Amino acid sequence: MRNILVRGVAAGAIALLSLTACSSERTGGDATATSGSTEAAKGFPANSLIGVALPAKTSENWVLAGDLFTNGLKDAGFQSDVQYAGSSTTVADQQAQISAMTTKGAKVIVIGATDAAQLSTQVEAAKQAGATVIAYDRLIKNTQGVDYYVAYDNFKVGELQGQALLDGMAKKKAKGPYTIELFSGSSDDNNSAVFFDGAMSVLKPKIDSGDVVVGSGQTDIKQTATDGWKAENAQRRMDSLLTSTYSSKTLDGVLSPNDTLARAIITSVKGAGKPLPIVTGQDSEVESVKSIVAGEQYSTINKDTRNLVAQTIQMVKDLQAGKTPEVNDTKSYNNGVKVVPSFLLPPMIVTKDNVVEAYANDPNLAPLTK
Amino acid sequence: MSRVKELQKSLFGGTTSNARQFGMIFTLVAIVLLFQILTDGLTLNPGNLISLVSQYSYILILAIGMLMVIVAGHIDLSVGSIAAFVGIVVAKVMQEYSVPWFVAILIGLVVGALIGAWQGFWVAYVGVPAFIVTLAGMLLFRGGNQYIGNADTIPVPEGFRTIGAGFLPEVGPNTGYNNLTLLLGLVICVAVVVREWRGRRTRREMQAEVAPMWISVIRIAIPLVVVVFASLQFAGGRVGTSFPISGIILGVLVVIYGFVTRNTAGGRHIYAVGGNARAAELSGVKLKRVNFLVMMNMSVLAALAGMIFVARSAASGPQDGIGWELDAIAAVFVGGAAVSGGLGTISGSIVGGLVMAVLNNGLQLMGVGSDRVQIIKGVVLLLAVAFDAYNKKQGRFSVIDSLMRPFRRDTPTGAESPAEAGQERGKSPVAG
Amino acid sequence: MSGAPVLLEMRSITKEFPGVKALSDVNLVVRAGEIHAIAGENGAGKSTLMKVLSGVYPYGTYSGEILYQGTESRFSDIRASEHAGIVIIHQELALVPGMSITENIFLGNEPGRGGVIDWKIANRRAVELMAQVGLEEDPDTLIKDIGVGKQQLVEIAKAFAKDVKLLILDEPTAALNEADSQHLLDLLRGFKRQGITSIIISHKLNEIAQVADSITILRDGRTIETLDIKADGVDEDRIVRGMVGRELHSRFPDHTPDIGEVFFEVRDWTVRHPISAERLVAKHSGFTVRRGEIVGFAGLMGAGRTELAMSLFGRSYGTYVSGQIFKDGKEIVLKSVSDAIEHGLAYVSEDRKAIGLNLLDDIKTSMVSAKLSKISKHGVVDQVREYQEAENYRKSLRVKAPTVDEGVTKLSGGNQQKVVLAKWMFTDPDLLILDEPTRGIDVGAKYEIYGIIQRLAEQGKGVIVISSELPELIGLCDRIYTVFEGTITGEILRKDADPELLLKQMTSVKKAQRA
Repeated sequence: MRNILVRGVAAGAIALLSLTACSSERTGGDATATSGSTEAAKGFPANSLIGVALPAKTSENWVLAGDLFTNGLKDAGFQSDVQYAGSSTTVADQQAQISAMTTKGAKVIVIGATDAAQLSTQVEAAKQAGATVIAYDRLIKNTQGVDYYVAYDNFKVGELQGQALLDGMAKKKAKGPYTIELFSGSSDDNNSAVFFDGAMSVLKPKIDSGDVVVGSGQTDIKQTATDGWKAENAQRRMDSLLTSTYSSKTLDGVLSPNDTLARAIITSVKGAGKPLPIVTGQDSEVESVKSIVAGEQYSTINKDTRNLVAQTIQMVKDLQAGKTPEVNDTKSYNNGVKVVPSFLLPPMIVTKDNVVEAYANDPNLAPLTK
Repeated sequence: MSRVKELQKSLFGGTTSNARQFGMIFTLVAIVLLFQILTDGLTLNPGNLISLVSQYSYILILAIGMLMVIVAGHIDLSVGSIAAFVGIVVAKVMQEYSVPWFVAILIGLVVGALIGAWQGFWVAYVGVPAFIVTLAGMLLFRGGNQYIGNADTIPVPEGFRTIGAGFLPEVGPNTGYNNLTLLLGLVICVAVVVREWRGRRTRREMQAEVAPMWISVIRIAIPLVVVVFASLQFAGGRVGTSFPISGIILGVLVVIYGFVTRNTAGGRHIYAVGGNARAAELSGVKLKRVNFLVMMNMSVLAALAGMIFVARSAASGPQDGIGWELDAIAAVFVGGAAVSGGLGTISGSIVGGLVMAVLNNGLQLMGVGSDRVQIIKGVVLLLAVAFDAYNKKQGRFSVIDSLMRPFRRDTPTGAESPAEAGQERGKSPVAG
Repeated sequence: MSGAPVLLEMRSITKEFPGVKALSDVNLVVRAGEIHAIAGENGAGKSTLMKVLSGVYPYGTYSGEILYQGTESRFSDIRASEHAGIVIIHQELALVPGMSITENIFLGNEPGRGGVIDWKIANRRAVELMAQVGLEEDPDTLIKDIGVGKQQLVEIAKAFAKDVKLLILDEPTAALNEADSQHLLDLLRGFKRQGITSIIISHKLNEIAQVADSITILRDGRTIETLDIKADGVDEDRIVRGMVGRELHSRFPDHTPDIGEVFFEVRDWTVRHPISAERLVAKHSGFTVRRGEIVGFAGLMGAGRTELAMSLFGRSYGTYVSGQIFKDGKEIVLKSVSDAIEHGLAYVSEDRKAIGLNLLDDIKTSMVSAKLSKISKHGVVDQVREYQEAENYRKSLRVKAPTVDEGVTKLSGGNQQKVVLAKWMFTDPDLLILDEPTRGIDVGAKYEIYGIIQRLAEQGKGVIVISSELPELIGLCDRIYTVFEGTITGEILRKDADPELLLKQMTSVKKAQRA
């Protein structure tokens, strides 16, 4: 706060000047508007502002990512503006934050979208003001304005989750058929379907062959969706599934798209006094790692946020230097109007068996595995 | 009467609510200048002004309707859900039935009117308190949004996006500015002058005291400076951007509703119902009809706000409208309306809304996180109202009044009986 | 009784409100174990005196002294006076409808420790107290499910729960029927035998004569006399003389009535109470008004005058049962207030602040609010005409305000009343119903308002004046109807009108007749 004040007072005179001398952006605007396309070949000053707009702090991952961005960008010599959307008015908040970053002249804006389809106006405005837009973790849809996409390979995540579910159930009970339930993420998140499709690419053949049975019969992504990725919604759905379907049947496994939901599902099952099924997860959240060590949650996915943030910052550095950032996928990610050049990182499945090795390098998680 | 007193009276009128409005404008100017300094001049830069208008126009449109609802002594908690519901309906009809966008807008308004009629019916004719009816509506239409949209985000076509993300087009010679925006500014300038001139003529016709010429000059000069500055800023933004269409929609609505609430019998009736429903009824005001129309109007405006947001976001999503009712209600109360009804103006609510908007925007420009922004906004809302209540208890009029103390007029004519004073206190108006 | 020791003595009590001296040098002596009545017209100062006694107006806000049980008492609030055993039961009962009898009896006085109510004790004591006041009900019955008479008894039981020594009852029988009233009066006699002293304020003079031992009469905030009922042989007539004893000197402007034909007539008007459907607030009432005539409606508070007037004014009170309204020989049906205004009726309510005015408005907005259509075109109000019309009324009615932009809260009661009158004159009515047009207004403004009323009559309009001040009715009206319990009980011409006759017709059921 004090810093801001000092800066503010110092800038007072300039501010008053700009008040009286009506500053027109027309001339500067023309230049950036024409050069605003993907060839960001010229680079920009090393101390430029980099904006990072992340969703509300609903999962540990976003909080961690924010901290990593703040520190990483600072270490790389940039000014950073890292913002989270508010907890209730998420989309509108994020829109306003992106606009504010644009106004402040951010050269690169990294966006972890709250609703990937509702940001096109702001992204385009940012683009036209000369910023490069990187979609972080969630692909921004329906706009030409997004330049790059950085994420873990989410289809792969789904495949790993599906496989882990099968492996876990086989370990517990030698012979099928296995009864499972499916959960997917929030339907406004582009990734939810990718995870789900990935998992289903593994599970579907087994379901068709009768080895695996979905107890409630709810296999459509619309039926399995969890609004807003909210734990309470998953827990509520699990509660009703348990009452409606599993008063006598046993539940062998639950496909859960992430750790927060996995824990909600486990809480629900415990609450109902049923034996714990195999529950998958994703994100390597602290509580879930503990849960895996304790033998409750079966698996999670290690998509080390450090790597993802590091990769993103690397892209920012490349852009600053005037280089074209490295991508490894230029066909898969179509956002509705264009194929966005993407860099995909490989995810890693973690179960009790490999938990020690998996987090050996993680200062937060490593102690939990001992 | 000293010159200062005279100036205050004729600039802001003799009545107390106008004095409060002046206080809000004063606060707004102070906040703008503060952030202009704190953000190194970013606050008043063209790009920011443009995004400020397009970001908050839909909230301000809601505030117009909410002001009327609150003046009539009700509340509407369902506006966000109605906005989301209409948004998804409109997006869906355009996507599935390829309805042209302007027809879709009409459909949206009709859906809004139907929802409003539904809510108005319960409030006015059945007598269920608006709080309950709209709380139910909040759930109902949020659920409706999810039911229709399957909690999906549905994109809307380019043409539709104009109402939320569009700008005045570039026409005419290259002047270095957006010509239509300049023209708009000019029209407003003329309107300011004409209005003052007609006001003087009316006072003369009334055979009432006409303010001295120099006061009229000030009353024209200040708005003109603001308008000229604003139009140059808005016209001077990046090529392709200028004054947002949503801002124009807002402006038109402010003018229309300002006129309706001030100058028409219908508008008077809203204030009468909120000020003293029984007295209004005994004066021949059709209470039920007023309540019905006020609630219905709110829903129509909520529908419009919802569509503007969808247009701006290029898609209708399941989280649209969450928390909007609170922003709109906050704007109205910061703008000086009374919780108990009967007091408040459209312009006050717009200024109140702008105070909250500039605060939000300024803090974001400073890089303050949304968690802290929420805390600060909460505190500001509370303090604005609390200061006023506190000062009133101390027998002073309000915080604004105390700001205005040097310009204060003489003590009220005639003694107030204890009962009257009590009643006045009960109507504690809210201002910052 | 005169031999008993003095329990309470109030000495030269003076209480002023801004601009009004409500009590001036009032003395009251109540002896232990007696039933002491206080009588006086509305506004004579009875309630104010009781509020001084019970601490509603705390020590320091009045002058004079209160000697209670021989020592000077300075009550700071109601709790203090209740602690001393003085309990007042107001006309509007202070009971919570949704709570049980037991809960109400101990409300604010709950037995138990540390905020936890001991229901066992509470129930046992409730049964005892109910027996004491002769209330036969299940103590768990909700208040809203028992009648007004029994509610009154609950109030008294509540007083007993507080160890009452001096019980004050303000109009205890106003809302009760004959049987319940009788029961209550018997109960008072029973308390007397138990040694409890009571003060009773009542308009029903026959009850006073029947039950009280002594009576203090107040008029215009002064003590007129204290009489011993038996020793002085006091009867109803004697009390009335004491109450209205002032001379009717010239408090009214000169006015020569010019009375024309009957143009307004109401027949067989019957209306139900809006909530309790079995209660009729107007019963087969009928009356007429002539052009240029000022017609008075006399009656006690709660007699149904206001209810009758409001039900006529576009059914703005109660549920219509039967009856017809004729104007200029033709039947008119007024289903809403706007119908009534359209047909030239105007109603100036008795409660300016609660239902007559929007206190947030300024003068001009108030004055035109009942007929905006007169000054608007296509719904748009012509503000020039609004200002001019209001300015005309401000001048002609001499409203004391610098401009019509002034807020109505800033006006005194009399000027507010003028604004309300202007508001209704603006609607160009043929018949104005003025309900307590001078309530809470000082003498000077009253004179002006009488003048306005007379001018309206001189313009050929019919005016109905509802008033609780008999001298006002007698001085102002050409003809007076008396109303009792929703029925018109008499019609008296100006030349025959005198307070005693009016009071008798207003107070007794015996003389009630169907009009």
